[in-house]
Amino acid sequence: MSSWIDYTINGIIIGNIYALLAVGLALIFGVSRLINFAHGSVYVVGAYAGFVAVTQLGTPLPLTIVIVVAVGALLGLGIERFGLRPLQGYAHIAPLLATIGLSFVLDQLVQLTFSPDPRALPSELLERRFQVGSGTIGALDILIAAVGIGSAALLYYFLRFTRLGWAIRATAQDRDAAQQMGVDVNAVNRAVFAIASALGAVSGLLVGMYYNYIDPAMSFQATLKGVVAQVVGGVGNVPGAIAGSMLLGIVESYGIALFGTSYRNLFAFILLVLVLVLRPNGLFASRRQTPPEPMTGTFIAPSKPIQISYPVLIGIAVVMALLPLVLPNPYVLQTLTNAWLYGLLGLSLTLIAGTVGLISLGHAALLAIGGYASALLSLDLGMPVGASILLAGVIAAAIGTILVFPSFRLRGHYFSIATLAIGEIVSLVILNWESVTRGPIGVAGIPPLSIFGFELDTDRSIYWFALAVLVILAALQFRLLGSHLGRTLRAMRDDDIAARSYGIGLDRYKALAFSVGSFAAGVSGGITSHLYSYINHETFNSQLSILALTIVILGGMGNVTGAILGSVLLVGLPEVFRVAAEYRVLIYGLVLLLLVRFRPQGLLGTI
Amino acid sequence: MLAHRRLVLTAAALLALPFAPAGAQTAPAKGEPIYLGVSGPLTGPNAQYGAQWKQGFDLALDEINGAGGIKGRPLAYIFEDTQSDPRQSVAVAQKFVADKRIVAELGDFASPASMAASPIYQRAKLVQFGFTNSHPDFTKGGDYMWSNSVSQADEQPLSAAFAVKRLGMKRIAVLHLNTDWGRTSKDIFVKAAKEYGAEVVATEGYLPDEKDFRSTIVRVRDAKPDGIMLISYYSDAALIARQLQQAGLKLPTVAASSVYSPKLIELGGDAVEGLFTASRYFPDDPRPQVRNFVDKFKAKYGKEPDAFNAYAYDTMILMAQVMRESGIDRQAIHDGLAKVKDVPSVIFGKATFDPKTRRVSGAVSVDLVVKGGKFTIYQGGAVVH
Repeated sequence: MSSWIDYTINGIIIGNIYALLAVGLALIFGVSRLINFAHGSVYVVGAYAGFVAVTQLGTPLPLTIVIVVAVGALLGLGIERFGLRPLQGYAHIAPLLATIGLSFVLDQLVQLTFSPDPRALPSELLERRFQVGSGTIGALDILIAAVGIGSAALLYYFLRFTRLGWAIRATAQDRDAAQQMGVDVNAVNRAVFAIASALGAVSGLLVGMYYNYIDPAMSFQATLKGVVAQVVGGVGNVPGAIAGSMLLGIVESYGIALFGTSYRNLFAFILLVLVLVLRPNGLFASRRQTPPEPMTGTFIAPSKPIQISYPVLIGIAVVMALLPLVLPNPYVLQTLTNAWLYGLLGLSLTLIAGTVGLISLGHAALLAIGGYASALLSLDLGMPVGASILLAGVIAAAIGTILVFPSFRLRGHYFSIATLAIGEIVSLVILNWESVTRGPIGVAGIPPLSIFGFELDTDRSIYWFALAVLVILAALQFRLLGSHLGRTLRAMRDDDIAARSYGIGLDRYKALAFSVGSFAAGVSGGITSHLYSYINHETFNSQLSILALTIVILGGMGNVTGAILGSVLLVGLPEVFRVAAEYRVLIYGLVLLLLVRFRPQGLLGTI
Repeated sequence: MLAHRRLVLTAAALLALPFAPAGAQTAPAKGEPIYLGVSGPLTGPNAQYGAQWKQGFDLALDEINGAGGIKGRPLAYIFEDTQSDPRQSVAVAQKFVADKRIVAELGDFASPASMAASPIYQRAKLVQFGFTNSHPDFTKGGDYMWSNSVSQADEQPLSAAFAVKRLGMKRIAVLHLNTDWGRTSKDIFVKAAKEYGAEVVATEGYLPDEKDFRSTIVRVRDAKPDGIMLISYYSDAALIARQLQQAGLKLPTVAASSVYSPKLIELGGDAVEGLFTASRYFPDDPRPQVRNFVDKFKAKYGKEPDAFNAYAYDTMILMAQVMRESGIDRQAIHDGLAKVKDVPSVIFGKATFDPKTRRVSGAVSVDLVVKGGKFTIYQGGAVVH
């Protein structure tokens, strides 16, 4: 019994840490309707600013906190001014992508400055510990809780009782109306980013001191847990974010208690999906809160797509097919083969996210399902490789659609977060379901690609195979978009109420589109597994989901040619920047930012 | 400062002499360099390991090229960043395969990235030397996959013997990284520990980016172990040790040799005091190749080397030896790996490949304990009675 007290206390302590992150994310979401993917990077910058202050300048804790707050606030102002303000009036998707680009740039800058080695961040004054239950609580735990709750209280006061606070709330409710009433919306945004980023930076400092450990790679996990916590509490709801964080911490802790350490995140993400499906406004949303904004039509920028006529497209396909004969450079062919495989992923997501408007952040899971299905079918059941890839596509479509079906009633960001969680769940199930997936050891010795018994063992033949699959599926998708079905799907995206009153069963059409899209992703994963010969749960990680979304946005939502172009660029650019060695991810992030800035509707435009 | 550095380098080159093969020129190598391709992480979450490789490689190259290189030509490497991501490691593999200057490839870091590239290296008949790839299936990818990574089948029984026979643990709780490496190691450790007569009362697998172990520790405590085994890297081992201390759970703790790094002590502080571990080498080790490596490393980088520095250093020395003996084309290196015998090695003492498994066995092991903020040789006996 006493152990349960310990588990609960541990859950609250870790929840404390999530709360620091979630409050900042909630504040920004509340005003800008934006999931700030750069928040984890601010957290990292804060930790390193604290590291410099403590180890180089020898500052005492209060002064360190002041320095970190200042650095965080300035960084927040910078992000708002240079990353987001230029995107005002663009579709919501543009700033989302900008924050992803910003996080690449910031993480990489920190890594280049401080080396990727983890560092110790000592906190000599805070080593005192108090006995609670059978464990102990440190002074730092109490400070973290105090900062979390204190900042939330201050924010509550600020939002309720000050003019700027009113302005922030007004802007959150209706940006245009607030502007017409004379609210300086830019000033509000500035204030929000400065406050949230200062808080994010302080949390980096405190968490770094807590573990006596900081490294530049800790940003993604921080963002992920912060997002989960604030959604559980209700997006944009500051007190809810704190409660959600505590709940998340406790659920994780109980998950470990009941099933073991490797199940920890599984519980966190299942909690998230349950909350989203059952109470999409979050557990702690008040009744009076405005309903989730209908993102349809505002989330995706309307634009005039660049028309490329079919003869030109066929010409490009022919040129690409002839390329290996003219340029037999295996490195170029491999890079393009990768681009074709990611092009398949792009086709999948551009249909689901672009045409139907369901922005999926867990698309790598479909690759993983397809990859494991084809690998295990051919390896354990002796199925011929070509057939196993086709069946893998079908399995990915079936499992993917079943998993996502309950989330179809969610809109906008809520759907995105649900898919993010489903993606993590799939990856964790693969890790833990050892009897089938072989757990962390992974699947080795996957037979090489072959079709009708002919082994594809040259770079060229693999290239042609991937290109052929891509061209066939792209042609089918063109056909689909031009048909009655394609128009129906776009109608649902542009106005789901009108579509429904027209007699369209939304869930069924969404499921249809999702399964068609998942098929392409499953096939891509299947081919990849035979190409790699070895996969494990990390082969298709969550960074790939972000890459998939970037491909689609870059090419233009819903745009088939755009998805392929985006894939060629995003697979190709890091290769082109190879000469820049350690700087290439930095350059990649900057290029991404410039593209969002100057071409937010994607290179080829939304269809 | 510059002059000082040159002095050190000259001294290092002089020191290297006794270990250079007979007949090697003393003049620095000249002419067209011979290139090895390195595929590994320089950015992304594993970037720290790529940076450590570079230090080990560069140190070995100073030594090799200072002593005449390979038949008078300098040895060099081309490091391509893959972020240890399979998508990029396959592209890099094609790049290396097509680049006729590259005579062999080293890396990648993690198994998914390394093993995804294996079919390409195998088809092109370019040796893929996975010097950190302990995955049991890595060298099964084909006869061009070689590895001098310490096999867990060698290492874990030694850890188990240390924990059970020497320290006297009877009820062990194992915390392991839930990766291919951690999982394989754990299985072998548990089997060995049971054979030695101990009971394994808990096994907890955690993800590599986990930072919070409080609840895991409660679980471990409730299993009432009399000792803890960590199958971890130094960063997570330091985190676990600190949280064990905070939870007031004072139990003798053994960690796998992968924690051997000055960073463990920097990150763990007084929480890692008394931690037992093993290492393939030890700074005060009298073996000449270890003395040579440790002294030169400290002179060049001003810090103690760690396990990954040593793997990279050993690998470069080994490849140089193979090329000197068998020649500098791709096939000669493949054939030479099977023939090379007793290469002086920091990790193995003397390294010889088993041509069937294409691995090296018989790593040297020293039992260590952290004492006074330093790794020292463990002299004592049982701590659990």
